[in-house]
Amino acid sequence: MSVDDTGRKQGFFQRNKHMALLAPGVVWMTLFLVIPLGMMVYVSFWTQTTFAISSDLTLKSWQTFFASETYFGALLRTIRLWLTVLALTFIIGYPAALFIGQFVRNKTTQTILLVACVIPFWTSFLIRVLAWRPMLGKEGAINILLQKFGLIDAPIEVLLFTELSVIIGMVQIYVVFMVGPIAFMLARIDQSLIEAARDLGASGWTIFRKIIFPLSLPGVVVGAIFVSVMVLGEFATASALSGRKVNLLGNIIVTQVGSLKWAFAAVIGVILTGVMAVVITLLLRVVDLRKEL
Amino acid sequence: MMVLDGLSKSYGETSALHDVSLTINDDEYLTLLGPSGSGKSTLLRLIAGLEQPDSGSIQLNGEDISRRAPHRRGLGIVQQNYALFPHMSVFDNVAFGLRWREEDPVTDDAEINRRVGDMLDLVGLTGFETRGVGQISGGQKQRVSLARTLVTEPRLCLLDEPLGALDANLRERMTLELRRIRDTLGVTFMHVTGNEDEALGMGDRMIVLDAGSAVMIAPPEQIFDRPQTIRVAQVLSAYNLLQGTARDGRFQFASAQLPLPAGGEAAKYYAIRYESTSIVNADDPAALMQATFVTSEFTGGGVTYFLRGPDGVFEVERHLSRADPQVYQVGEKLGVTWDVRDALVFSADGNLINQTDMRGAA
Repeated sequence: MSVDDTGRKQGFFQRNKHMALLAPGVVWMTLFLVIPLGMMVYVSFWTQTTFAISSDLTLKSWQTFFASETYFGALLRTIRLWLTVLALTFIIGYPAALFIGQFVRNKTTQTILLVACVIPFWTSFLIRVLAWRPMLGKEGAINILLQKFGLIDAPIEVLLFTELSVIIGMVQIYVVFMVGPIAFMLARIDQSLIEAARDLGASGWTIFRKIIFPLSLPGVVVGAIFVSVMVLGEFATASALSGRKVNLLGNIIVTQVGSLKWAFAAVIGVILTGVMAVVITLLLRVVDLRKEL
Repeated sequence: MMVLDGLSKSYGETSALHDVSLTINDDEYLTLLGPSGSGKSTLLRLIAGLEQPDSGSIQLNGEDISRRAPHRRGLGIVQQNYALFPHMSVFDNVAFGLRWREEDPVTDDAEINRRVGDMLDLVGLTGFETRGVGQISGGQKQRVSLARTLVTEPRLCLLDEPLGALDANLRERMTLELRRIRDTLGVTFMHVTGNEDEALGMGDRMIVLDAGSAVMIAPPEQIFDRPQTIRVAQVLSAYNLLQGTARDGRFQFASAQLPLPAGGEAAKYYAIRYESTSIVNADDPAALMQATFVTSEFTGGGVTYFLRGPDGVFEVERHLSRADPQVYQVGEKLGVTWDVRDALVFSADGNLINQTDMRGAA
């Protein structure tokens, strides 16, 4: 071993420093993201029989999905539910974020309020979901109160074990993921911009429309991505609050995997991944996040 | 014409502004000089309506506008950090006020194009219309900010340290530009600054603000020549200020006995401008005071010498048109001298005693 040799070795690492830095991440993502995704697509074309699965390629699982009212209906229901939850988290979350980010000028109070939004997460996910049952049930808190005050005669049955209860549950759980990013962007808006706009004669509503809202859009997009990714893959809230009446794509995957129908579960997995990819791409079209963050 | 009458404002216990009265004329360039914390920004924000005064009133052409919303006061404010809307192009920034103001917005695109175009032309930014505000330099941002305010044709334009963030070269150019733009439009500029050269050089009139009070309002030459109070002289940073007592026709300052100007029997403070003093040999009979050389600073057109006098630093400015720069050794004993007629004396309460110009009389 000569001195020359060591010199060359160091040179190799020097030259390829960025490769060395990238390697762990690339290996990790390849092993646990790229290969599994490829496998999922591959398995979706396998041949499934009642008790066995073989790697003979076929389109049968795909045909079953699009031919079946149940499964294709689940796709449409998932999209409908996702859009509803997304809209509601935005409608409920934006004003809250606006209050925290723009009307509370004290940084400490802002932080306290944001942390308060996260407090529900201190209890487990399942408890948070199941806690809606005694609230929404036929003999639940809401119905009892409404009856006590004489506002209704008979309990409202539509509250629990319907699509409505699933939406209520999901909105409550995911709204904070909308509030956080929006509040963050709103808090970053320089007050002098608002003063300048006011000085130029714009009314409060115009300032919101032309200055505050456009500047908070990156937060809206990030929040929407959070909510979308989580809602599209949801199955727990749907099964717990719908009494298994509302089946989303996530629920079907769970059932199919449970009965070892790997090929069919893979088909739904591919479709769900595709939907998410499209959703995220569209959302990123709205704002150039690289420029804004 | 805007009249401020007895404006006061405090934040909690601290008084930011105390009983400020002044008249702002139409079509003038007014500079407001004060060290940081003197209440400059508070005064500006009160005039602009971004804050409410605790007492006092603001009248515009005889009408009380103290309680009026900022955008109904017919004035524009150019903020220190420019406050450009980051998501809009240069054109949209400038057009904002015309398009979106509540009262009398301009809806005709052709008119907006014309007025914004004219304004960008005036500030020298033609061709930058479609640029994003993140793609232009600090000096250009400054111009966009100015254009955005001026295009709405305010009667009074408030500029909050407009040159503060610019480098020296750009600052000099913007100084001329600001005067030219103001002259073209005939709008009143109120220019707030912490820089005495800027305040002296640009204003038709100058206000010196100190500890929340307007201590002097006068044309710059008068402020520079005859600062009304010791604080004004201090803010100008052009005077050596000596504290002592007048006795037997001399001013006792530490170990030095300085000649008193006429009428200075009650003097407590003695002020002499940096450039009115000159350095002589320590044993020169003309030397009024002994000092030790500390360091010097070349300023291009001249040299500033820093000496240690009997009590603190003493500065001497020498213009190179008069003489070549002198080189002294650190610690070298020197004498300083000046014409007694150039000296100003102030009474115990800090007011100028020798009001009239002795040089003229002599």
